Amino acid sequence: MFEIGLTHYLVVATLLFVMGIYVMMTKRNAIGILIGVEMVLNGANINLVAFNRYNGMSGIDGQITSLFVIVLAAAEAALAVAICMNFYKNLNTVDVDHGDTLAG
Amino acid sequence: MGNYEIALCLGVVAPLFMFAVLAFVGHRIGKPTSGWVAVLGVLISLGCATYVLTGWLSATDKAALMATTGYDWVVLNLFGNEMPIEFKVKLDGLTVMMYFMVTLVSTCIFVFSIGYMAGHSDEVDGQCKFHRFFCYLSLFEFSMLGLLISSSIFFLFVFWELVGLCSYLLIGFYFDKKFASNAAMKAFITNRVGDFGFLLGLMLVFVFLQTFDLDQAAATFRNQYETQSGIFAADIDILGWHVSGMDLATLMGIGLFCGAMGKSAQFPLHVWLPDAMAGPTPVSALIHAATMVAAGVYLVARVFRLLTPDAQFFIAVIGCITLTITALIAIVQIDIKKVLAYSTLSQLGYMIFGMGVGAWPAALFHLITHAFFKAMMFLGSGQVIEGCHHVQDMRKMGGLRKKMPVTCWTFLIGVAAIAGVGIPGAHIGLGGYFSKDEVLAVAYERAYNWEDRFGGHAAEGGHREGDAHSAAPALRSGQVIFASGGEHADSHADAGHGGGHHDDPVLAGIAAKQHKIPKWMFWLPIIIAYVTPFYMMRCWWMTFMGKPRDEEVHHHAHESPLMWAPLIVLAAGTLISSFYMFRPELGEAAAHATQAPLVVSVDGEVPNKAQHELLGLSHDKDKDPHAALIGIVGFAWVAGIGLAILIYRNGLDLAERIRRLPLIRFFHWCLMEKLFFDHIYDTVLVGGTKWVLAQVSRAVDTYIIDGIANLLGRSTVRIAEFSGNIMDTGGVDGLVDAIGESTQGVGEMVRQPQTGKIRNYIMFGTAGAVLVLAAMIAVVLS
Repeated sequence: MFEIGLTHYLVVATLLFVMGIYVMMTKRNAIGILIGVEMVLNGANINLVAFNRYNGMSGIDGQITSLFVIVLAAAEAALAVAICMNFYKNLNTVDVDHGDTLAG
Repeated sequence: MGNYEIALCLGVVAPLFMFAVLAFVGHRIGKPTSGWVAVLGVLISLGCATYVLTGWLSATDKAALMATTGYDWVVLNLFGNEMPIEFKVKLDGLTVMMYFMVTLVSTCIFVFSIGYMAGHSDEVDGQCKFHRFFCYLSLFEFSMLGLLISSSIFFLFVFWELVGLCSYLLIGFYFDKKFASNAAMKAFITNRVGDFGFLLGLMLVFVFLQTFDLDQAAATFRNQYETQSGIFAADIDILGWHVSGMDLATLMGIGLFCGAMGKSAQFPLHVWLPDAMAGPTPVSALIHAATMVAAGVYLVARVFRLLTPDAQFFIAVIGCITLTITALIAIVQIDIKKVLAYSTLSQLGYMIFGMGVGAWPAALFHLITHAFFKAMMFLGSGQVIEGCHHVQDMRKMGGLRKKMPVTCWTFLIGVAAIAGVGIPGAHIGLGGYFSKDEVLAVAYERAYNWEDRFGGHAAEGGHREGDAHSAAPALRSGQVIFASGGEHADSHADAGHGGGHHDDPVLAGIAAKQHKIPKWMFWLPIIIAYVTPFYMMRCWWMTFMGKPRDEEVHHHAHESPLMWAPLIVLAAGTLISSFYMFRPELGEAAAHATQAPLVVSVDGEVPNKAQHELLGLSHDKDKDPHAALIGIVGFAWVAGIGLAILIYRNGLDLAERIRRLPLIRFFHWCLMEKLFFDHIYDTVLVGGTKWVLAQVSRAVDTYIIDGIANLLGRSTVRIAEFSGNIMDTGGVDGLVDAIGESTQGVGEMVRQPQTGKIRNYIMFGTAGAVLVLAAMIAVVLS
């Protein structure tokens, strides 16, 4: 077995980040996009924690920052869901492709 | 500058000062006072005039007095020649006498005007214009005196125009009345016609004599004649008309005389003077009888030395025509002022005629006596008109002698003076008896005895040289004075003047050129000498004698002291001036003023004994032209006055019956229509001018104004087209469009990514991030 190192975490984080981006780009459901955003944020969190662990930094700055990000994500999710609700209320759908009424 | 010059200048400036005072604060000075302000100005002038006159009469060395100081007003530079126009006071016998006469007459008239204007005569447009009247009068006084002291013909012209202006202002004093403003314009325009000729004459003087100074011009003229240079060497073709030097000199003289024709209202420019009676009566007395109209005669007297024989003949003819036709018209006038106006014209005609035949002193003598008695008669008529509440029609007057005694008897003195009342042979007479007689005596000599005197000599040429009496100084200077009939070359051995002019080749030439005048030019004035007493007596009788014909007019009639006092002064002036008051001085002035190369000045009578003996002439009573005239015209006044009394003794009925006689009716109609001059001028000149102007203005309108308008219109359209189609559409709009279109294009371009699809945005954002990352990596790796 090999030692799990920084690279592995970064690969996982990158995959998670790229998958989140991909979900955001491809999903037409607003809730799906929200999920993609969560995945991107969590990819970033993994990076934060991993760098804190492996880059010889004393303390828990990375972990603290990721906790901030989690709190931020929670707040962002609440707002995003509210936006989705209003979106639905106005357009009777959560398909973001229909939200192009302002397009020129 | 000598005392006399200063006095003359002061006398000129004083009325100007009063003019300024009245012009600026006249309305505050008030009604009677502003009149007295003007009188003060003219009294100063009169004082100066008296001072100069007494000084002049007592002076022994007159030549010293005459040498006055000149100041260069402006120096013209003509083709390298410096030509100064000098301001210089003319101080000689003529100026002194005229100056005194003008100031004395104007003082009387100014005082009279205060009385005349005291009523409602000063109302113009319902407003009191008392001060304005005296303001104009003062300006006139200044201009007239300035004219008299000008030694330069240039300044003379300036003042000449100023008196014309004052005449215009005063004729049109009642400018709210249409006929008055029309009369003012008529006077002004008619004078312009004359002044145009005057200007042409001035130009000839300027070009050929190169000086405006009267004495210098005369000297140059004489010199040029003797050497046949300058104007006499001229040889010009004007529109195919060949003009020799002599003709050009004649034209110069006639041109200068044209000015006099306008101002002195000579035929054919006489039409303005009767109309000028529209002004207030004192104005008629001052300007249109005594002074301004005499300025024309004065001008001829001044430029006498520049006249050629032909020019003189022209002047004589004009004077003769004027005195005849105007006297005839005067017979039928019913307006008291019109009678006086026409009689003034006729007397001016006598003066001009006198100048023309060479009777220089006689014409001026007549001018001075005429100024006194005509001013007096005009003031008398003013008194009558004012007293009768502006009734001028003599048919409504009559019987005024009891209401206006002073006016009546002074007027009668005037009538006697103009009629030439006197006892022939006894040297007792009034005004015209002496002065008109002088003119007629010279005319008689020129018409009947001329060739005996000069023609023969000229033909003989210069054979008889070294004549005993050739030393006469006056003759050397070119003037020929001879005793009344005492000198007939063929009958007397002591042909003093004959020798004189044989010695002088110039004079011999002149005598050959100065022809006899036609006999009708002697007889017409004689006939008019019979007519004059008739129409003047008719005027007086209709006004003052007989029974009152209009009760209302007669009832109102009154006299006021301010108005009759000047009449008495003028009557005294008439009496004094009649008795040779200025006679010796005029003879003396003639000697200075007529030293001309081409003019033979003929004096009907040698004024004083000393001069007479100096000339070595015998005084032969038998050959006296005056003696010959006694038979012809001596009792003309008896005939004229007698006939007038005979006809008008019992009112107007007899006159009316005579008027209805078949042939007389036609003549009466012609005369009432003023011999149709006004009609002819109205139709031919005014109508013609209007027609020509209409044609010209139509042409100008059609071709020039319309052309310009059309051109402007068309070019505006062209410019608009250019501006609209090219500048606006292509340029401004194009620019704006280009900006808009490019904005739109850019907008269209940048609109494309704005799909509104959130997924696209994410993709763009990611792609951007990837690109940035790639770039960073590329930078790091390189």
